[in-house]
Amino acid sequence: MSSPDGHRGFLGESVQLVRAVVRAMGVTLRNFFRRPVTVMYPDTPRPYPDRFRGLLALTYDKETGEENCIGCRLCEYICPPQVIKVEMLKGEKRNYAKTFTLELYSCEFCELCVQVCPTDAIIMMKSFDLATADRREMLLDKDRLHALGLQWEPSWATGNRLRDMQAPPKPARGEAKAEAGAAAPAGKAAPAATPTKAATPEPAE
Amino acid sequence: MPALVWTALAGFVVLNVVIGMVTYVTLLERKFAARMQSRIGPYYVGPHGLLQPIADAIKLMLKEDVVPDAADRWVYNLAPIAFLIPCVLIFATIPFAPGLGVADLNIGVLFFLAVSSLEIVGLFMGGWGSNNKYALLSAMRAVNQIISYDLPFVFAALIPVVLAGSLQMSAIVAAQAGLWYVAYPVIGQLAFLAFLVAAVAAENRVPFDILEAESELVAGFRVEYSGMKFALIQFGEYAHMIGTSFLGALLFLGGWLGPGPVWLGALWFLLKAMAIFLVITWVRWSFVRIRVDQILAISWKLLLPFTLVLLLATAFVVAWRGGGVVS
Amino acid sequence: MDTEARQVIELGYGGNERLTMNMGPQHPSAHGVFRAILTLEGETVVAVEAVIGYLHRCHEKLGETLTYVQYPSIASKTDYVAAMTAELAYVAAVEKVGKIEVPRRAQYLRVIAAELQRIASHCLWLGTWCLDMGGALGGGATVFLYCIRERELILDLFEMLTGARLLYGFHQIGGVRYDVPAGWDRKVRETIDFVEKRLDEYEAMLEGNAFFLVRTQGVGVISRALAQDVGVCGPLIRGSGVDYDVRRAEPYSSYQEFDFKIPVETAGDCYARYRVRMAEFRESIKIVRQALGGLPEGPISSRPGVKSVGQVRVAKGDGYARVEGARGEIGAYVVADGGPKPYRLKWRGASFSNLSILPHIIPGHKVADVVAIMGSVDPVFGEVDR
Repeated sequence: MSSPDGHRGFLGESVQLVRAVVRAMGVTLRNFFRRPVTVMYPDTPRPYPDRFRGLLALTYDKETGEENCIGCRLCEYICPPQVIKVEMLKGEKRNYAKTFTLELYSCEFCELCVQVCPTDAIIMMKSFDLATADRREMLLDKDRLHALGLQWEPSWATGNRLRDMQAPPKPARGEAKAEAGAAAPAGKAAPAATPTKAATPEPAE
Repeated sequence: MPALVWTALAGFVVLNVVIGMVTYVTLLERKFAARMQSRIGPYYVGPHGLLQPIADAIKLMLKEDVVPDAADRWVYNLAPIAFLIPCVLIFATIPFAPGLGVADLNIGVLFFLAVSSLEIVGLFMGGWGSNNKYALLSAMRAVNQIISYDLPFVFAALIPVVLAGSLQMSAIVAAQAGLWYVAYPVIGQLAFLAFLVAAVAAENRVPFDILEAESELVAGFRVEYSGMKFALIQFGEYAHMIGTSFLGALLFLGGWLGPGPVWLGALWFLLKAMAIFLVITWVRWSFVRIRVDQILAISWKLLLPFTLVLLLATAFVVAWRGGGVVS
Repeated sequence: MDTEARQVIELGYGGNERLTMNMGPQHPSAHGVFRAILTLEGETVVAVEAVIGYLHRCHEKLGETLTYVQYPSIASKTDYVAAMTAELAYVAAVEKVGKIEVPRRAQYLRVIAAELQRIASHCLWLGTWCLDMGGALGGGATVFLYCIRERELILDLFEMLTGARLLYGFHQIGGVRYDVPAGWDRKVRETIDFVEKRLDEYEAMLEGNAFFLVRTQGVGVISRALAQDVGVCGPLIRGSGVDYDVRRAEPYSSYQEFDFKIPVETAGDCYARYRVRMAEFRESIKIVRQALGGLPEGPISSRPGVKSVGQVRVAKGDGYARVEGARGEIGAYVVADGGPKPYRLKWRGASFSNLSILPHIIPGHKVADVVAIMGSVDPVFGEVDR
């Protein structure tokens, strides 16, 4: 019904047109009085959920302070865009990573490297704040990765936690499950005291 | 001589006021639209975005002036000026308060309507001179649309003229001292509605903005303009829009009539014009646009007969009341 | 029945010159990178030639060089607007070839993810379609921002679940990678209740609106025969009267356990496709509620979590799996040769088949209708060009 072709139905169509117009304009008016949903980032910090896949970083062991990375190169092999390059340094008791470079500008943030890491060395942070004018700053070397690990808050996901979450339940993994504190496979979908309660902003209404 | 100097001075002042209004009306529209879309709009430039129009103006002035190689240079360069002049000239006849205006002609409304449709010339010059298929297509559509909608626009604007019995703007306002024409039973509301629809269409605003239609023609006839020339075209468009809002406030909403002392009249006038502008903006941000053939169908098959019949009805009413001013 | 590849309408204007206009790859409403060469007579389009390939990123070759463990994260980049269903197509194909079981909890989680993704994708569709029709500076932008506002809430849900907002890497061979975090199902219920109310607002803005109806009714009519001949899928074919949905025709991932309707309209025009998708919104909400209510306990994957790049090996064989994506039938054909990588991966993109309808239905319409029709076809060029 673009325009009435005759006076038959003209009034009815006009009334319908007016009613539709008023309804549409009413919706916009109602939204005019709602609070804007804009979050003034970066002035207002944005709460990140627990599993946020942000910047990558290397970690130190909590007790001994040693680097977690054993240079096994599993992350290098699994990375789909092949942004990780690791050289292993053999030691007496354990191996280390001699060099560890990660090209963050090509990283897909798929978390597969975190998934495979046997020692929870590489993790992702709850921040993506690494905008830079020079791409070379996003070629992260080992020192930079360790520094990032101390600078931001780490996400929940580490290699062991992810694998525990995904693995079909085995009885011997009882302690590991409780320690990981994740939504364990054999447990309920919403365990009580876990750090996985995300804090996303409520819908604005 | 002194009278000429006074007029020139008045014109200069009005021009500057119009420039100021146009720049800040863009900010008003952006904030208003943003709130309707659950967002904030300009915020960082100046407190709550108040310096945003200044920043935009500076940016446009600093931009490189690019002229397409194959463009018709004279037509291309003159088009923004030819577009701007009628859009600003209409303010010459609007009295902002009793006695406060550049030239309160006794054919004021006629001058306004005639000059405001001259913008088509500049528009088509822009589309043609750009040597760009998109621009040409949009200019052709625009000419089509503006010509079609100027007729109902004129008829709707003539209804208060018939009611007041004069083309002089201050006389029309004075005749509304008793009752604003929009409140006039049936005829007033319908005329105001027709005026608004025709105004939205004659200014190429959504839902009738087929000429720019960014998703198809990417800015239409303005596509090849950048920098200051683009600024002139934008300026002309918004000036025309504000001018039409002022005309609507004057013809239907009683101009500067309002409670309080007489010198407050200019403020009331401004508020009423802004109210009409906000309604047009509200419509703009609520609807999708319609196709050009449907736009033309609405104009010729619906709006033109409607306003014509309404004008005749108004004439009958005035004659039945014995002629003279209806107030 | 023999349909012509390109329907050129002779309008017989006589002496009127034809204009060839390029709606080029860079265009506000090309929905991606798409080039349409339009031949115009006045305002009417008489021929359209579609040129694609601007977003070709060698997905099928990547499928041969990346292992089964690596590729699901990449699979989301084909239909990047509805990534969950794209990944699902790939993992379902591999699971079919390798006869790999998927635990029930994983199947339900896949259903929840796919249906939430459908809602999010349709939000984007509605927003960008109205944006095309109403202009970036106009009513279209208003509907667009409302839809994006709602889509952001659903993306927040995905962020809680996987950590990512657009390209998830949620699926893995044998199940899914992430289980439900604490408080997630409460949040999902709140969000979809909220979105359901907002849907009423969109309909209030658009239904019965003469401007909208006049742009969409009778525009871009795909007859039932044409739809079946050309082989379009998804809301396009359901808008033309064919009751076909992969979730019903060949149920996968426990869809047979859910109660939902398949919306079908017969008019075949843009408005019919709009109605189909609006109804799909509500059906998806229903499915999510049912799935959340009946989420079974159990493991989320039948295979241990990924520990090395060559962990999954699939014996020789081939198989094709298809899923009902937001745009239609997405299929993946995998030929396995016993190693950790497929020998061949072939994607069947829903938008690729849907785009081939354009030369049939656009001629005869005005230029302004081209964007309305393209929006109602809803292509995503990651799927088209792979």
